Amino acid sequence: MEIPYTVEPRKDTGLYNAKVGIWLFLASEVMLFGALFSSYILLRVGADVGEWPRDLLNVPIGTVNTLVLICSSVTVVLGWAALKQNNFAKYRMFQTITVLCAFAFVGIKSFEYYDKFTHYQVITKDGKVYDGHLHSRTAEQVVLQGHEIDASKGKAEGVRKAQKADKHGKEIVIKTSDIQKIGNYGPKHNTYMSIYFTLTGLHALHVIAGALVIAYILWPGARMWKTEPERYANRVEVSGLFWHFVDLVWIFLFPVLYLL
Amino acid sequence: MSLKAFHVVFILASLALCFGMSAWAFWQYSDNESSSQTHLLLGTFCLISGICLGIYGRYFLRKLRDVSYL
Amino acid sequence: MKFAASGSQNGENRMQTSSAHAHAPTGDAHGSHPHHDEGGFLKKYVFSTDHKVIGVQYGITALVFLLVGFVLIMCMRWQIAYPGKAIPVLGGLLTSVFGDLASGGVMTPDLYNMFGAMHGTIMVFLAIVPLAFGAFGNLVVPLQIGAPDMAFPRVNMVSYQCYAAGCIVMVVSFFIPGGAAQAGWTSYSPLATAIPGMGQTFWLVGMVLLITSSLLGAVNFIATIIQLRAPGMTWMRLPFFVWAQFVTGFLLLLAFPPLEAAGLMQLADKVLHTSFFLPTGLAMGGELANISGGGSPLLWQHLFWFLGHPEVYVLILPAIGIVGEIVACNTRKPLWGYKSLVYSVLAIGFISFIVWAHHMYLTGMGTKISTFFQTTTMIISIPSVIILTCLFISLWGGSIRFNTPMLFALAFLPMFGIGGLTGLPLGFNYSDIHLHDTYYVIAHFHYVVAPGTIFALLAGVYFWYPKVTGRYMNETLGKIHFWVSLVGMNLVFMPMFYQGMSGMLRRMSDGGAMYSIAQTPNAIGGLSATIIKLNEYVTHAAGLLALAQIPFIINFFWSISNGKKVESDNPWQATTLDWQTPTPPPHGNFETVPTVVRGPYDYSLPGAKADFVPQNQNP
Repeated sequence: MEIPYTVEPRKDTGLYNAKVGIWLFLASEVMLFGALFSSYILLRVGADVGEWPRDLLNVPIGTVNTLVLICSSVTVVLGWAALKQNNFAKYRMFQTITVLCAFAFVGIKSFEYYDKFTHYQVITKDGKVYDGHLHSRTAEQVVLQGHEIDASKGKAEGVRKAQKADKHGKEIVIKTSDIQKIGNYGPKHNTYMSIYFTLTGLHALHVIAGALVIAYILWPGARMWKTEPERYANRVEVSGLFWHFVDLVWIFLFPVLYLL
Repeated sequence: MSLKAFHVVFILASLALCFGMSAWAFWQYSDNESSSQTHLLLGTFCLISGICLGIYGRYFLRKLRDVSYL
Repeated sequence: MKFAASGSQNGENRMQTSSAHAHAPTGDAHGSHPHHDEGGFLKKYVFSTDHKVIGVQYGITALVFLLVGFVLIMCMRWQIAYPGKAIPVLGGLLTSVFGDLASGGVMTPDLYNMFGAMHGTIMVFLAIVPLAFGAFGNLVVPLQIGAPDMAFPRVNMVSYQCYAAGCIVMVVSFFIPGGAAQAGWTSYSPLATAIPGMGQTFWLVGMVLLITSSLLGAVNFIATIIQLRAPGMTWMRLPFFVWAQFVTGFLLLLAFPPLEAAGLMQLADKVLHTSFFLPTGLAMGGELANISGGGSPLLWQHLFWFLGHPEVYVLILPAIGIVGEIVACNTRKPLWGYKSLVYSVLAIGFISFIVWAHHMYLTGMGTKISTFFQTTTMIISIPSVIILTCLFISLWGGSIRFNTPMLFALAFLPMFGIGGLTGLPLGFNYSDIHLHDTYYVIAHFHYVVAPGTIFALLAGVYFWYPKVTGRYMNETLGKIHFWVSLVGMNLVFMPMFYQGMSGMLRRMSDGGAMYSIAQTPNAIGGLSATIIKLNEYVTHAAGLLALAQIPFIINFFWSISNGKKVESDNPWQATTLDWQTPTPPPHGNFETVPTVVRGPYDYSLPGAKADFVPQNQNP
């Protein structure tokens, strides 16, 4: 006996196996990201006053990245539609754009990560707080391009105020002997950065995985188009569904992390 | 739900994001004492993107009229 | 045999048909490998995509871990009864493996914590869930719905491999410096983060692998049940076991990802030094911890129990399904209230997602929230009671065959009943204040899981053994196993209710001796000598329980080649499709696609030739 409904849909459900499978998988993914979003809410509600950063991330860059992902979803669908119309060349063109978009997204995202890893906060022994991008760091001194922070209403609120008043700040030289605590805006900086890196990192992993699957179907797996075209189109559809989900997650992530 | 149906859902969500974000940017521009030109540009950009997406959505629905939603 | 169904043939014919099937191209994964069954030992037994082989792989691995978990708790029981005395038999081995943690064969509190955490983890995630869901689900579900295999055979294989990898990580964690995780199977932060060593990191990595395995399995099961039902197998003709597995699949699918998220966050806390679950001002080792703070320990508990409570139903639902099958078959009458059973299982599935915080009444999350979860907890007991009542009424007026699987299934009913009813005082937040974290809790959930679920799983082993091997397990050894286990289980867990109500707390490596009246005579609420003495009796009873498993182990291996051969493909004369295949079922299961024409439990049908009519036959 062969496994039925691998290609043609079952009559009473109207679906083929892989489509049921991917939707169930996406349901579990919803729960995964849902749990992280809930954690975001709980952490934000529980944060000390003025310690939850706002306007910290670069919104224009994020917007561009969002558009890149929306474009990639459009090309996925157009590629699938082209395949349904038996136009393999057009499909290949659209899906190539999808994969390129995925690379562009990950590239822009890593630039944003790099920006955060070079963004430092220094607390001196006399209680002053400095915040800015690292210019240079030697054994004797640290040079930041940034601001001195008024931390009376919380450090994060102080950073926001200072950046609003003067975007670039000035060069600040701090002696190593004066420093009590120094750290970049990595995951351990505060709970916002932790959840930011966890959410976007997990999402980026999904983007990379999705791009790999699409690329695999597009090039090494394309032989199937000759032998079993319907099954091949199904594969493209299933990978497209996953891709749409990944992009939809970003549509929620972006306003939550960048705007709110 | 087929890729087509999911794409419609996705476009709707993107539309909401575009218009929501352009409203957010204009609000920042008008409300805040330290508003910048960036917000004005961003708001306009998102508004235009939203309109383009809407037009694309109509085109998409027409083009794939014969494909099933299931 | 007169009753033999369409699939039944004599041995030689079976051999021919099964080998003929091995060469037939079989769908998705096998299309490119027409000679699937001839790929040598590795291909046939290790990297097999056949659901029956994967089921057996799951079963054997899980049974081994059931034993490992049992050995861990036996060591702990010795320490509880005789704190500070060297463990007999295993003491020397522990010293050579754990060094200072077990010097002179005596269990240290650290080792006790480690074994406690790993006992829970191994029993829940490595033994019972894989046995109930992975093993029985894989073996039986495709057969019962008349499918040739699972919907995604290769995903099925990967699911087992992820599980095996998770098992290896968990086992290896015992032997790393500092040993395995020590923060309990619940791994509450900040304790779990604060304990030095890599044990917790290994635990988290292992859990991520196990969760991945469960997710792949759940997707596969649900897709299989939705898509691959044989023609005529409508939803209300599904055997009850399939319904139970279907709901279990959804619980695993939707409840596990939040724990995966929580596990990733705790891993970040441990490795990247974030503060997801670490509050501001946390002190570790007497000093203010060098962390940013701002995290929430309650968040971990919420995410953990969001999995943790549905997980309880993951443990019990397949067991109920197995018992349902065995009860129907051995009473020779239909299950009473099939539809009520199905709807109750579905209701449990839904409600189990909104009861999780009844594990957290004492965390200070607020009385209003407690009241909400108390209400939902009381509501979920209604479908549970309906299920138990239906199964009890099913016995009414049946001519019961008291074979070993039926004995285990019958014992399941009152044992699960005791476990369930003693849960009610824990579900009320007022009485929970007194009972929380005592031995009462241990007794309660072990009554559900040990004489409950494990009895049902053992019943399943005895019941489906003839289908897998073609031979019965020995009845005499089986009955010895059953009666001694039944007595042993009750002697172990019944006294714990009393100990718990008297205020003995769990997770104390000296069995509460420190809080005894003997040690501090004037203590208010100190533990009396009787309570402490009970520890010894319980440990002896646990020894009896251990001895009772020896006949089972012997029986299990001896019967593979020496058991009584089955007379037909349908030795229990059951109605469901799993018995209408050749024995053992070949690759692809059925010779022809079965067409289902009736409900799952047409026993003693008036006017029928035999006292059972298989689902794919007219009387």
